[in-house]
Amino acid sequence: MPLIVSVGLKPKRESGMVVDIAHVKRICFAGLAGACLIVMLDPSLMAQALGELTGTVTDPTGTPVAFAFVTTTNVETGRALPAATGMDGIYKFTLPSGNYRIKFESRGYETQEIPAANVAALSTVVENCVLEAVAQTQSSITADPAQKTAPSPSGKPAEPSLEDLGISPSQVKGNAREQALLDRRSHMLKMHQRLGLITIAPLGATLITSAFAGGRETSRASRDAHAALGTATEGVYLSTAYFAIRAPKLAGTKTRGPIRLHKTLAWIHGPGMILTPILGEMAFAQKSRGERVHGIASAHGPVAIVTAGAFGLAVASVSFKF
Amino acid sequence: MLRKLLISFWLLSLPGLAWAASQWVLEQSTLTYHVSHPLHQFDGVSHTAKGKGICADGECNFLIAVPVKSFDSGDSNRDLHMLQVTRGAQFPFVTVRTRLPESAATSATITLDLEVQFAGQTFEYKQVPFQRSVQGSETRITGTIPAKLPDFKIDPPTLLTMPIKNEIPVRVDMTWHPR
Repeated sequence: MPLIVSVGLKPKRESGMVVDIAHVKRICFAGLAGACLIVMLDPSLMAQALGELTGTVTDPTGTPVAFAFVTTTNVETGRALPAATGMDGIYKFTLPSGNYRIKFESRGYETQEIPAANVAALSTVVENCVLEAVAQTQSSITADPAQKTAPSPSGKPAEPSLEDLGISPSQVKGNAREQALLDRRSHMLKMHQRLGLITIAPLGATLITSAFAGGRETSRASRDAHAALGTATEGVYLSTAYFAIRAPKLAGTKTRGPIRLHKTLAWIHGPGMILTPILGEMAFAQKSRGERVHGIASAHGPVAIVTAGAFGLAVASVSFKF
Repeated sequence: MLRKLLISFWLLSLPGLAWAASQWVLEQSTLTYHVSHPLHQFDGVSHTAKGKGICADGECNFLIAVPVKSFDSGDSNRDLHMLQVTRGAQFPFVTVRTRLPESAATSATITLDLEVQFAGQTFEYKQVPFQRSVQGSETRITGTIPAKLPDFKIDPPTLLTMPIKNEIPVRVDMTWHPR
C-alpha cells in the first residue's frame, strides 16, 4: 500500500510524492548487501585479523646484515612472501594470523631457518636471527650486489657492481611501504574485478525482465521481480565501485592505455546507476497507479540501456585487446 | 699477395680485438617481456637498462641492471599490477650477471649462463643462446631469456580470474661499446 506524503495544501494524489514501502525495503536491502560485501572484502576492515612479524638480522659480532633475504612461508597454505632487510638489518611483515616458517639468506652466510613462528592477530612477534659466516665459495645466493665488488682470491679484478652502473645503494633498497600500498591496491582492484563480473549476472537478468515490466499488459509480480533484480544489481555495483574508488593511488602515476577508457566509462555508468533506480521507482509508482509511464520516468529504459552498455564496454575495455 | 693476406688477417681479427677491450659499456638496450593470457597477449618494454663488462685474464664479467618500474606495457594499471606481483617496490632492480671466456666471444652465436636476480630471488639460466653481430666498434647482442614466473616464486597475475601463462620470455637486444 503506497504511503502518500502531501506536498501541497490539498492532499491530492497527483501532487503528492508516493513512497512505496516495498521500495524503501529494497533500498535498505541493497545498502545492507553492499555494506556487508564491503565489510567482508575490504582489507582495511579485515586488518584486525593481521599481525606483525619483525626482527633484526645480524652477524655473530652483532653487526646488522643489510639486504638479507627473509622469506616467510605459511605452514598451512604454503604461500611464500619474500622481503629484504634494510640497512639496519631490520625486516618487517604484516601477515594474516597463522604459523609461519622463516628463512634467512644472505651472500656469505649460512642460510638459517625458523621452523615455526606463530603470528596472532593484533600482536607483534619478534624473531631475530644471527647468520653465521661461510666461506665465500659456498654461497649461492647473492643478496647484496655491492658485495660483489670485493676482489676475488685469485687477484682478478672485481666484477662490475651496481655502483659501477651509477646505481646507488639507496636506489637498490626496497620500499616496503610502497610495496604494501601496491599489495593493498591490487587486492582491492581484484575485488573490484570480481564484483564487477558478478554484477553482470543481475544486470543481465534485470535487462531481460524489463521486457515483462514495462509493457501495457504487465503484472505487479513481473514489476516486482524486475525491481528486485535492479536492487540487487545496484547493491553489487555500489560495492564494485567502492573498491575501485577506495583503492590506493600511487603518486606520480599517469593513467595510460585501455584503463583510461575504463575510467572514462565510469562517468557514464556511475551516474546512470544512480539515475536508473530513481527513474525506475517513478515508473514503478506510475504503473502501480494504473497510469502509463510518462514524463521523466519514461527515460528509465533508455538510461538503463546506456548505463548497461557503458558498464559492459568498461568490462570489455580491460578484458580484450582492441 | 702477401700484402692482401696481411690486410685480410687484420680485418678478420678486428672483432676479436674488440672483445679484448678491458671494459664494455651498454650503449643501447631494449628488453621486452611477453605475457600470454587466455584473452589477450601483451609486451612490456624497457629501454633503460644499464650494463658494464670487465674483461681480464681471458675472462669477461658482465652486469646488466634494469629498474622493474621502467617496463611499459602501454597500460598504467597493468604495469602497476605487474610491479605488485613481481614485488618491484621491494626489489626495484632486475640484475643479470654473466661471464664468458674472451675466446668464446668472437663467434656469431654465443651461449651464456645467466644469473638473474628478480623479485628477491636468484635463478640461473644455463646455456642461453645469443646472436652476436659487430657493427663498427659496437657489438650487438640479441636473444631470448626463457624466464618463467615460478623461477622467481611469482604467483601469476590474473585478469577476470584467469591467470597468465607461467612463461614470460624476455627478448634482449643490446648494443655494447668498448671503453
